[in-house]
Amino acid sequence: MNAMTHPLTHLVNLAKPLNFSQYSEQGGYVGARNALLEYSPEQVLELVKSSELKGRGGAGFPTGMKWSFVPQFDEHDRRAAQNKYLVCNADEMEPGTFKDRLLLEGVPHQLIEAMIIAAYTIGANKAYIFLRGEYFLAAQRLQQAIDEAYQAGWLGKNIQQTNFHLDLYLHTSAGRYICGEETALINALEGKRANPRAKPPFPQVAGLFGKPTIVNNVETLSNLPHILKNGVNWFKELSPGSDAGTKIYGACGRVKTPGLWELPMGATIGQVLNDHAGGLCEGLSLKGLLPGGASTDFLLPEHLDTPMDYDSIAKAGSRLGTGGLIVLDDKNCPVAMVLNLLQFFAQESCGWCTPCRDGTPWAVELLTRIEQGTGTVDDIDSLLKLCDFMWIGKTHCALAPGAVEPLKSALKYFNDDFVEHIEKGCCPYHGGH
Amino acid sequence: MTFDKQNSQVTIYIDDQPYQVSTDNNLLAGVLSQKLNLPYFCWHPSMGSVGACRQCAVTQYQDENDQRGRLVMACTTPVTDGMRISLKDSQSEQFREQVIAAMMTNHPHDCPVCAEGGECHLQDMTVMTGHTHRNYQGEKRTFNNQYLGEFVGHEMNRCITCYRCVRFYKDYAGGDDFGVYGSKNQVYFGRQQEGQLESEFSGNLVEVCPTGVFTNKLFSAHYARKWDLQSAPSICAHCSIGCNTSVGERYGSVRRVMNRYNQAINGYFLCDRGRFGIGFVNGEKRLRQASGIRQSSPERLSKLDVSKALVHFRGKRFIGVGSARASFEANYLLKQFVGNSKFSLGLTERQMQLASLHQQYLSQYQPVSIADIEQSDFVLIVDEDITQTAPRMALAVRQALRNASIEKASELGVPHWQDSAVRTIGGQELSPLYLIQSMGTKLDNVAEQVIMQSTAATIKLLNLMTELITSNAPLIDIHHQGQQLSSLLNQLVSAKKPLIIGGWSRQSPQLLSAIMSLLDVLTKADMPVRSAIVAQEVNQVGAISLLDQQSLSVEDILENVKQEQSSEVGGIIFLEQELSGVSQTQLEQLKQTQLAIIALDHSENAVTALADIVLPAASVTEGDGHYVNYQGLIQRYYQVHPNRLPIMDSWRWLTLLATTLFAEHPLAKEAQSLSQLHDDCRQYDAKWPMLPLDDHYDIARESHRTSGRTSKTANISVHEPKTTQSTDGYRFSMEGSKPSSTAEMPFTWAPGWNSNQSITQFQQEVAGSLLLPMTTQYLSIAQSIAKYCDHSEAVVQTSQANALQFSQQIKWYQGDWQAGLTPEFTLIESTNYIFLSSDYASQQGWQSGQWLQVSCMSSKDNAPTSVIAELFFDPRLSDELCYGQLNELATFDVKQVSLMAASEKQVADYKMRRKAEHTKAEQAQQYMLERLKQQDQFIPIRLMNGGLDDV
Repeated sequence: MNAMTHPLTHLVNLAKPLNFSQYSEQGGYVGARNALLEYSPEQVLELVKSSELKGRGGAGFPTGMKWSFVPQFDEHDRRAAQNKYLVCNADEMEPGTFKDRLLLEGVPHQLIEAMIIAAYTIGANKAYIFLRGEYFLAAQRLQQAIDEAYQAGWLGKNIQQTNFHLDLYLHTSAGRYICGEETALINALEGKRANPRAKPPFPQVAGLFGKPTIVNNVETLSNLPHILKNGVNWFKELSPGSDAGTKIYGACGRVKTPGLWELPMGATIGQVLNDHAGGLCEGLSLKGLLPGGASTDFLLPEHLDTPMDYDSIAKAGSRLGTGGLIVLDDKNCPVAMVLNLLQFFAQESCGWCTPCRDGTPWAVELLTRIEQGTGTVDDIDSLLKLCDFMWIGKTHCALAPGAVEPLKSALKYFNDDFVEHIEKGCCPYHGGH
Repeated sequence: MTFDKQNSQVTIYIDDQPYQVSTDNNLLAGVLSQKLNLPYFCWHPSMGSVGACRQCAVTQYQDENDQRGRLVMACTTPVTDGMRISLKDSQSEQFREQVIAAMMTNHPHDCPVCAEGGECHLQDMTVMTGHTHRNYQGEKRTFNNQYLGEFVGHEMNRCITCYRCVRFYKDYAGGDDFGVYGSKNQVYFGRQQEGQLESEFSGNLVEVCPTGVFTNKLFSAHYARKWDLQSAPSICAHCSIGCNTSVGERYGSVRRVMNRYNQAINGYFLCDRGRFGIGFVNGEKRLRQASGIRQSSPERLSKLDVSKALVHFRGKRFIGVGSARASFEANYLLKQFVGNSKFSLGLTERQMQLASLHQQYLSQYQPVSIADIEQSDFVLIVDEDITQTAPRMALAVRQALRNASIEKASELGVPHWQDSAVRTIGGQELSPLYLIQSMGTKLDNVAEQVIMQSTAATIKLLNLMTELITSNAPLIDIHHQGQQLSSLLNQLVSAKKPLIIGGWSRQSPQLLSAIMSLLDVLTKADMPVRSAIVAQEVNQVGAISLLDQQSLSVEDILENVKQEQSSEVGGIIFLEQELSGVSQTQLEQLKQTQLAIIALDHSENAVTALADIVLPAASVTEGDGHYVNYQGLIQRYYQVHPNRLPIMDSWRWLTLLATTLFAEHPLAKEAQSLSQLHDDCRQYDAKWPMLPLDDHYDIARESHRTSGRTSKTANISVHEPKTTQSTDGYRFSMEGSKPSSTAEMPFTWAPGWNSNQSITQFQQEVAGSLLLPMTTQYLSIAQSIAKYCDHSEAVVQTSQANALQFSQQIKWYQGDWQAGLTPEFTLIESTNYIFLSSDYASQQGWQSGQWLQVSCMSSKDNAPTSVIAELFFDPRLSDELCYGQLNELATFDVKQVSLMAASEKQVADYKMRRKAEHTKAEQAQQYMLERLKQQDQFIPIRLMNGGLDDV
């Protein structure tokens, strides 16, 4: 692996991550130094915009554009003195997704460097890492790296003798999936219930404690030091496809070698599944897969040539999401898999809006009966109605539509399996045992 | 809500029909304002939109050609010119039905045993969406319910998770002992631990909850369906705000109090004193018979009975002691009958000074309404704990503090009704509230600055402020006794809508005078200052408007009593007067007198105990009359149910007494109706302050669905009783004009809208004024007591060694004698406590939580009383200042106290005594309930005007 082809992961050391001086020796903090000493915040913003970096948390929103919504007040404006905040969303809880964990545990200084660059650009003097509570090791390693960065003058007052100050805090979450939603995360960070907020206002304008706030995913941020160090063109050329940079893809399920691989953005599903994950285990064949975590639509074996970039996956009828494949083989029950996923979403619903709060458990109830063989054909209709009921525009946030994606696509692609459950009165995969 | 309205009307198309809708509110409010049916749950006209329930979805189209449209939530969608929406298309209709179906998956469908049944918003909305068939086959989740205290019942299984309760309790009313717990479809609304809800607005949960999660326990204990209640528009009789209420009765007992919408005053919310303090009407202390007069008929006292009893007083003069809780009419008549020089309100000399100043204040200023308080951008409250003495005003102040956030949101283009967005943008930003006070209050944590000091120091501080503003000095770096004043002063003079609130609590004329001087200088400097002075009782302003130069104080009366031999005075008439400001010794003096004491009252008290003749007066729910609120607003309360003879309105008693005692007086003829009385008064007195009464309408007090109209009394007689005739424009019947024929609706109901939310159907626009205008008439008040204008008397100064100045914290359930008769109010009474500065306490070696013996030197009689109280610390207090609650001294006076540690025996005795009181109150509660339920079986129907005579 080398720094130019695997910028995000080439310094990853899960056994013992690089400390501050090791990281610096390996070219760390060069990007941050470039940003702070050679560019104005506006220039960094332009660089990030032109790099076409998109958010790696799942939604794929252009990072530079997101940043540009943060109001910049001139110094005479009374609001200029207000705080702004940068928050790193490290609340990785998407089922089947573990890419951020690799970066957090393997190269914590990379994230800190990235956050210095981002905070400098948007003018934030306080930053938080909102970390999934169960990531104990990451918490330990991040805190150590933060302490080292303070000692080295990369955090605190007058960073590297500039006028820029930044305090970075690590917050370990009390643990809800919904905290991955940026406004729910902000509420949780404020000590409130983790309900997503009404938008507008968007966090860029009124976020944490009512102040302008940027929330970025770990992987998104981790690209910044490299863009600042190696330039925009390098970054764009990393990928042959329409989206710039590299992406950490993953695969889980019954594949030979589950894991994570940093590949150019736009590697095909087949490449990830067959070349890197080694294909399915002996005796199994591929029935379908979720391309980017639990809240994406199923794709089928026929989609193996689809490049895993935002547009291509969307064209195939799903979402790139987090880029972590969840693979369904032909010996596992798709109804049971969807039931399992829906149980997760019903469990993790924040309880704010009706379609999600009462719709997801209803879907679980229907799926349970179908899976146990006591369902009726009407139940499939009810499920389809629920899919419509919980769809985008009808709910307060994206959680329920995310739950609908695997359900609806399963009803579409694996309808026969649902019908078979109903007709046989038991699960055909387990023979009712 | 708050802030100036733009009031721009635009045309929008709802199902292709054009409507004129205001852009000041959201689309849901716009649709409802057109009286169109669109179901909703989480939105509330006073609390704005949060988009949680998704019930109000409509389809919005881009233009005429757009056939598909998209679903939007009406409550979070602004109204824009030319917008096109549909309520009837199948997309949105189906979705709305699905929302209800989803909510109902866990609802227990226990409507028959639910107190909300028949006035349930959830029932209404379910019918409105057309959801009639249940598909969900799974199990329902179940919750444990909590004991939430004496007033609010809890049945969480009914919850549909609209979040309104917690938004009201925490966000709107600032409560912190109630919240939302859990997640997914197991969201729980309750307290962390079981226990009495601490907010003085907890009762609003009953109305805010769209279904039966929160119910009125007192109502449930003796229950009737809404459609079986007989109701009338009333005025809350428990503080000087004059909130509008709708009181419900059945079988002769009052069942409950509900909010009655009045845009300018209470809006949608009442405080708990108003909602639950109605127990006295049915209470064990009620006076139901006359005593001291021989009654010839078992039901009523005749004119003859009265004249026989009083004939030898004919020609004698009487002293008349009116009161601030009796109607304006009764006080007026009393004054006319006894004459100016014999009229009193039972006020002490000091209170007369306050009354004099209050008259002066009201003659110069128009106090701001509750609704206008919400518009303030700066609030200064001077030594008055309005959270307890006028809770509804404190609730309005809380809303005013949000104006900073609303303004900030509007800068970002977010409208005021986007409640959650405004709260996000506002963060912790509040408009400035300054408190200068001698005790901690529930507003402390939202105040910009709390200046904690003695009332004497506050007077000096106000005078300093007045001087500074008069002298036009630069307001920078100004200190007073260690307190920074610059920001207070600067914000006061620069605010666009500043508000200053004071009151009677501290019983200090100097304080009131200092507030008025400050107001005076601000007004003279053309500053837009607004103000309110909180009085203690419901008709205090009306009563003190009758005081003049010759009026008597309590001290004057006692002087008169002493000289009884030489005077021509034959007796004293007490009009609904319990003489709470009078000491035991003074009462003793009264008892000794040879003068005839005639007491008119609805319940037993110290005065009725010593009276020779006691006449049972109507309580607010059986009476007709007017109260004048703190603004001078004259408001009418109507009979809810017929009074059971011989109980009568005080003004009727007075005219009856006058036929014997003051026979020469032109008003001395038995009044037949309130409007006739008013006509008589108008003829007699050119200055009669009230407009003619418009009582010609005939509105049914009962709903058109009332059960058992003809059979309610069938166990007594099978004849259908003739309904009691009334003279006030409302009928004791289900027949008559519909409730909405007047702005003063006995209850609200509209087709398809059985809950109180039906009020929307009778408003010009949501949360706006009513379709039919309410009469707003203010009493014009002149300063007519001049002799009390000397304000030189010093406030209580700490003179004794080791003495501290103690301020009594009167709780909302204590401030009003009538409400205090409610047994449940005794049950929730806190134990005695006292707050001291931690420095002082540690000097004495006392710990927090320790019990102290508090010896009080009352300013009236010098016998010190000793009580014990639990000690707490308030670091903001100075060493010579303390406050707390000593239940034995339920008056507002500032007292000098000395403290020492209490012995274990004292504490044990105290706790035992409290326990006994508690048990007694519980028994009283139980006994009352049993008696009322028994009474339901036997309905005496021989009533005052008409009624059946064959009982």
